[in-house]
Amino acid sequence: MASKGMTTAAFFVLTALADQPRHGYGILREVEELSDGAVQLRVGTLYGVLDRLTADGMIVLDREEVHDGRLRRYYRLTDEGAQALDAEAERMAAGASAAKQRIAEGRKAPGAAANPTTGPGLAGGLA
Amino acid sequence: MTTLLETRYRAVLRLLPAYYRQAREEEMVETYLWDLDRDTQDQSRPTLGETASVAALALRSRLAASGAPRRYALLGSTARHFALFAVLLQATAALVDRVLGLTWASTHGSSQWDMFVSAFTDQGPLFGVVEVAEWALPLLWTVGFFALVHDRRRLARTSVLLAALPTLWPFVGPLVSDSVVPSDLWFAVVTALFAWLSALALCAAYHRDAPAAALPVGSPGLVFAAFAVVTGASIVLLPGAPDTAWAPATCFLVGAVGWLVLRSRSADRGPAGGAVALAALGLLLLAVRVAALYPWLGLPLPAVYLGGALGQVAGLTLLVVVLGAVARRDLVRH
Repeated sequence: MASKGMTTAAFFVLTALADQPRHGYGILREVEELSDGAVQLRVGTLYGVLDRLTADGMIVLDREEVHDGRLRRYYRLTDEGAQALDAEAERMAAGASAAKQRIAEGRKAPGAAANPTTGPGLAGGLA
Repeated sequence: MTTLLETRYRAVLRLLPAYYRQAREEEMVETYLWDLDRDTQDQSRPTLGETASVAALALRSRLAASGAPRRYALLGSTARHFALFAVLLQATAALVDRVLGLTWASTHGSSQWDMFVSAFTDQGPLFGVVEVAEWALPLLWTVGFFALVHDRRRLARTSVLLAALPTLWPFVGPLVSDSVVPSDLWFAVVTALFAWLSALALCAAYHRDAPAAALPVGSPGLVFAAFAVVTGASIVLLPGAPDTAWAPATCFLVGAVGWLVLRSRSADRGPAGGAVALAALGLLLLAVRVAALYPWLGLPLPAVYLGGALGQVAGLTLLVVVLGAVARRDLVRH
């Protein structure tokens, strides 16, 4: 899903922060929603990702709030983070577009999907 | 009031190093407890997955890269250097041993070849599979090394874990078959320790946040070839000396001396972890060397073997002392 340089978790965390600053729990929920439940980050994993994105300059601390004696830190995307997310989204969109085009071409080709196993196997054998 | 779940979660967070807890603990507790019903928090515990994620974070923050406090950055650098050098030694030793063995068996008549094949076929299916695994799996050290230096970390981890597996057979074999515990038990123990420390150091230290592996000099292929040539030459030129500790010990002696010479000529002393890692590796190899030699002491041994082994013991001891002194100076300097 994400390129080699950006993990799926990092991609969704950056996406979660694209519209507004969020705190840890807010990011967890947003990532789960954005991925339709496919990505459910643990707290330990989330903070590993936040550390990495902070070190790479893609996010920064926006503000700190204290609620019921507990610390809540809000993070926001930097310009660099927005650019990296944009580039990753472009790359994924281009990949998805290419896949759709290939599927459409495959459907148009006569008999391509109906008889897929007439050639030799991948290894060139008869099995 | 603090709930039992919060207390338990804070206990899990104690896995993290103090510097990390100081920076993140309150925030992590807040994130973890956010939407949990306060009335049920005394009945629940952190899930296994949550605990595992904190344990993984603890490992990454202890074997840290740059940006962490000095002692954790040093620990991470040392573990990464140790893993890289140890995997390189085992890769070249395993590959050269098998190439020379195959070459000898295939070029010295049918009796030698039959003897080579019979090691795999004459002891029944279970031992046949074990022999094949013991012969083939250590070749994965080479895969692990090249995967590591090309930053294919998952492949590197899988390869070295599989490569280390045969060292467990001396302990597992007596439990699942009628094979007996080896007489040279200490040698089996230190060999397994060497293999598993190398594999686990690679798995733990080359985590996602760690920098890519880089050799201090040369390209990976060239360094690997040079080590393989040294290994092969040491076996071919002194055919009476080699035992299983001979090749890695020789390579270490040559490699560590080369590292010290390069270092003395370079203005950049490199990361502090290098000398500590080499000293630790040398100490481990010294233990392997002594354990390989010890059972034979008191028996009439060929002078070449005894001289070679004792020479390696002396060389390794000297190098460990020198590397220890260099490491100490580096630690003070950093």
